[in-house]
Amino acid sequence: MMPNFSYLRVNSLEQAVEGLTSPETRVLAGGTDLLGCLRDRIFPADKLVSITRLDKLRGIEETADGGLRIGALTTLTELIDSPKLKERFPGLAQAAGEAASPQLRNQGTIGGNICQKPRCWYYRGEFHCLRKGGTLCYAFGGENQFHAIFGTDNKCCIVHPSDPSPALVAFEATVRVVGPKGTRLVPMEKFHVLPAENVEKETVLEQGEIVTEIVLPKPAAGTRSSYRKVRARRSWDFALAGVALAVAFKGDKVERARVVLSGAAPVPWRVKEVEEIVTGKKLDASTIAKAAAATVKNAQPLEHNAYKIPLFKAVMEEQLTAMAKG
Amino acid sequence: MKVDDPELYYMEGFPVPETPAPGEDPKPWIETFVIGKPLPRVDAYQRVSGSAIYPSDVSFPDMIYGVVVGSPHPNAMVERIDTSKAEKMPGVRAVITGSTAGADLTWKWPYGNSKSKLFDPHCRFEGDAVAGIAADTPYQAADAAAAVEVQYKVLPFVVDERKALDPAAPVIHGKDNHVGKPDTYERGDVNKGFAEADVVLETEYRTECLIHTPMELHGCVARWDGDRLTIWESTQGVYPVQQDVAGVLGMPLAKVRVIGHYMGGGFGSKLQAGKYTVIASLLAKATGRPVKLFLSREETFLSTGNRPPSNMKLKAGVKKDGTLTALEFTCLGTGGAYQSGGISLVDWLIRDLYTCPNVRCECNDVFINAGCARPFRAPGHPQGSWALEQTLDALAEAIKMDPVDLRLKNIPLYSQARAGDPPYTTTGLKECIEKGAAAFGWKEARKKLSQTKQEGHIRTGIGMGACLWFVGGGRPPSTIVLKLFSDGSANLNMGASDLGTGTKTVMAMVVAEELGLKIHNIQIENADTGATQYATASGGSKTVPTESPAVRAAAVEVKRQLLKIAADELKTDVQALTIRNGEILSSREPAKRIKIPDLKGLKQRGVIVGIGYRGPNPSNKWVNPFGAQFCEVKVDMRTGEIEVVRFVAAQESGRVMNRLTYDSQVIGGITMGIGLGLTEMRVLDGNETGKMCNRNWHDYKLPTALDVPREIVSVPIDPGDTEANSTGAKGLGEPVTIPTAAVIANAVYNATGIRVTETPMSPVKLCLMLAERDRRK
Repeated sequence: MMPNFSYLRVNSLEQAVEGLTSPETRVLAGGTDLLGCLRDRIFPADKLVSITRLDKLRGIEETADGGLRIGALTTLTELIDSPKLKERFPGLAQAAGEAASPQLRNQGTIGGNICQKPRCWYYRGEFHCLRKGGTLCYAFGGENQFHAIFGTDNKCCIVHPSDPSPALVAFEATVRVVGPKGTRLVPMEKFHVLPAENVEKETVLEQGEIVTEIVLPKPAAGTRSSYRKVRARRSWDFALAGVALAVAFKGDKVERARVVLSGAAPVPWRVKEVEEIVTGKKLDASTIAKAAAATVKNAQPLEHNAYKIPLFKAVMEEQLTAMAKG
Repeated sequence: MKVDDPELYYMEGFPVPETPAPGEDPKPWIETFVIGKPLPRVDAYQRVSGSAIYPSDVSFPDMIYGVVVGSPHPNAMVERIDTSKAEKMPGVRAVITGSTAGADLTWKWPYGNSKSKLFDPHCRFEGDAVAGIAADTPYQAADAAAAVEVQYKVLPFVVDERKALDPAAPVIHGKDNHVGKPDTYERGDVNKGFAEADVVLETEYRTECLIHTPMELHGCVARWDGDRLTIWESTQGVYPVQQDVAGVLGMPLAKVRVIGHYMGGGFGSKLQAGKYTVIASLLAKATGRPVKLFLSREETFLSTGNRPPSNMKLKAGVKKDGTLTALEFTCLGTGGAYQSGGISLVDWLIRDLYTCPNVRCECNDVFINAGCARPFRAPGHPQGSWALEQTLDALAEAIKMDPVDLRLKNIPLYSQARAGDPPYTTTGLKECIEKGAAAFGWKEARKKLSQTKQEGHIRTGIGMGACLWFVGGGRPPSTIVLKLFSDGSANLNMGASDLGTGTKTVMAMVVAEELGLKIHNIQIENADTGATQYATASGGSKTVPTESPAVRAAAVEVKRQLLKIAADELKTDVQALTIRNGEILSSREPAKRIKIPDLKGLKQRGVIVGIGYRGPNPSNKWVNPFGAQFCEVKVDMRTGEIEVVRFVAAQESGRVMNRLTYDSQVIGGITMGIGLGLTEMRVLDGNETGKMCNRNWHDYKLPTALDVPREIVSVPIDPGDTEANSTGAKGLGEPVTIPTAAVIANAVYNATGIRVTETPMSPVKLCLMLAERDRRK
């Protein structure tokens, strides 16, 4: 049952920022995640500020340097359908296409997607867990088959639920954030927060701040990209394991690589071990095998998610092999 | 012509069947003109357009909203309830607890002998009722529920049946957690059978607990008029709900009217009243207002039933020629916190599906602190099938025999597990396996897979399995009243519910077949204890075989009276008359014909009433449906992802009454079986809290439309059952989901060489199993 809240639909970004007056004020865009959170009473919300009329935050534009600027209100479906995105950032278009269901992609926005709340069933359920201000993470000793193998800091083992986020990290995107103190740019890789830093937050957003756009720099020449996701239910599910790759080739050798996992950690998880192994190399079978092994070298599986070790290795091997073929 | 045209081509001018003499039963149909055709549902427009009024749509101007306050703990004593804050909240009209006058009631749990209080101070599972609230709006009711202060003494819990018999486990009732003595069955001598076998295999299997989660939530609207209570309930049977509510409230049956014209699915979880029905009635009485009380989706996951988990061990012996020599089966199951049939029928297929002289079964039911089981689409059978069909697959491989041939070698012609070895009226088992295999291209696919080495990491596999369903023949009682009005339209009065399976459509087709009426001139009134005839709940795949013979009998009765009136008016012999296109004509004298609305006698009477009863089933014979299913999967050998590519289901459910609703049942049953096999499981937090983790449609993973294979081929097998009943129909809804999960598991084995013995077969399991095998290599 929805709680009571007041509702404010703003006509400008300034009004939106002004409207975000308390920690219990929430931004409403597509609403696909927020409304579920409210119904499940995961966090209090006394006011919703709807930014759906801010048409300036919608759409995909080219930047002067040949990159793209994606408005925060652009829907996932619009990302999938964008020829520019498909041409230059196919891994991101794929990631958007792998998220949620067709209905949810028509409604959900990219800004909302990177600001999603975790899907841990303890967090979403009637459990007063650490992330909700409680004293205990129930997942460490409990039902943790869908939980993290990296970055938990022994505090909280959620996995970040976004599919586009790892692709955005791989493409070295930047998030534009507007708030009471003005505008700031946050590299996508620094946008999400690990439990060690703050167990009650998933992003760096401060009180009153709104994501307005995501800027993608022009990828280096010879960049190939992909996103692959394995689910428990094939049609519609969050990732058991996902791999986003953005790899720049020079000839048949890798010049620069960004390798980022979903379903692995409380944030999109960059595996520099893999990047280092492949950089400067040909993606031959032995390099790929080494890279696949390195993917999970530092993983710390929990009682019920050890399958993620072979799964991530398998997906990494599959994706690098596919990428080597071009 | 389009199939949805109101003037269907196959309904034009066909001859109706002969009318039996008074006192004689109608003979089996020789040729049918309407029955068996793919007729769209008579209420399809209403259902699809949203104009059908389901119980959850029922509304009254003065209606208020009820909510149940449930225990958040799986095992706790209610020490104190303070409702004073809730009572003072805006819009709140009643708050009831166990100490409210008139609410200190005894609740009998269905499917066993357990009793508790309606509001029991000892909450033995999460979600059990602690209090009820009625308020002007659902929001006010929910706010008030949150304001009820309950002081619980939280007790240790056990939510895993495999730990329920540990000495350290908390005892839920009595002295230990056994529900009763083990359920045992024995014939022959299994030790002798194993000694005779060339191959003996013993394997442990487990199926997870599944939740029904029908589209429409569980609940009702309750309204009092003086001492008369009317309940609009989403139910599979209005009469069982009437009986339950009257029993709990100590009322005469006649004073409780239960209505449930439409209902949005039940799968076995809506065969009786819930505590919510009684609580709504009490709240309506306390407030003098109609009360709508539908549980939330989350609450239905906790307290409205489940397919219980099964921990099974099956030992099986076979000779080299495929003769089964012995089957020994054990199962540990749980129906939850009260007696609820946790092991019900789980061993039936082991006892009865394949010829085997030596069989022993022992099943143990234990209590745990979780919601109670309820019948779930073929109770026990998919679980037993998961063990039996996989074991048969493994035996076939061990003796290098085609799994199809192994099953064909062991087809029984009678029911071995019933006293006196009674024969079946028909058994289509052999034909299901043979015709299903042919439709699938089994031999060819097997040959191709054995001859070609599969390259790459995507491997194809095929699997099959067979089944029977314990009942499915229908039974008395049922009474049908058919009224033919003077304009030639008819009103069919039937107590049974249509679960969404197409019952109403099938019954209208029986009337059309027998009387030559147009489908759109037949109106069905059903599922109302105040206005329709007695019927048992729609469950056990019994509705069509129970109701259709009674409908046919009623139609025959109407026909007799109608032809008698016509014979008098046409001054001819009744034997010579027949009906065609709404006109009565004489076969001997072509000039003698009259349209039904022109009959003076009918105009005078206004209506002809025909009453039909469901007669007994044949004595000493059993009426059971059979089936065989075949599937093809693709498996990613690195990630363990499984894609179900195609399915063939050859089901013998007697006569096909409506090909469209028949095929819909096949698709629905296979979809549900895919859920059992690949994605669904209840997850309880076994460590800290015992609470359910995945009580929503995201975390509890039902197959969606996109998970259903594009190719599901339905191959109806109709051996022409002339003994079962006068329509020759048997049940289909349940048998069609029985072997599905096991069939997928056999196909996965065929693709990977890995036998997945526990559901669900997702990458969570299979990826790890594949990796471990590679490591061992």
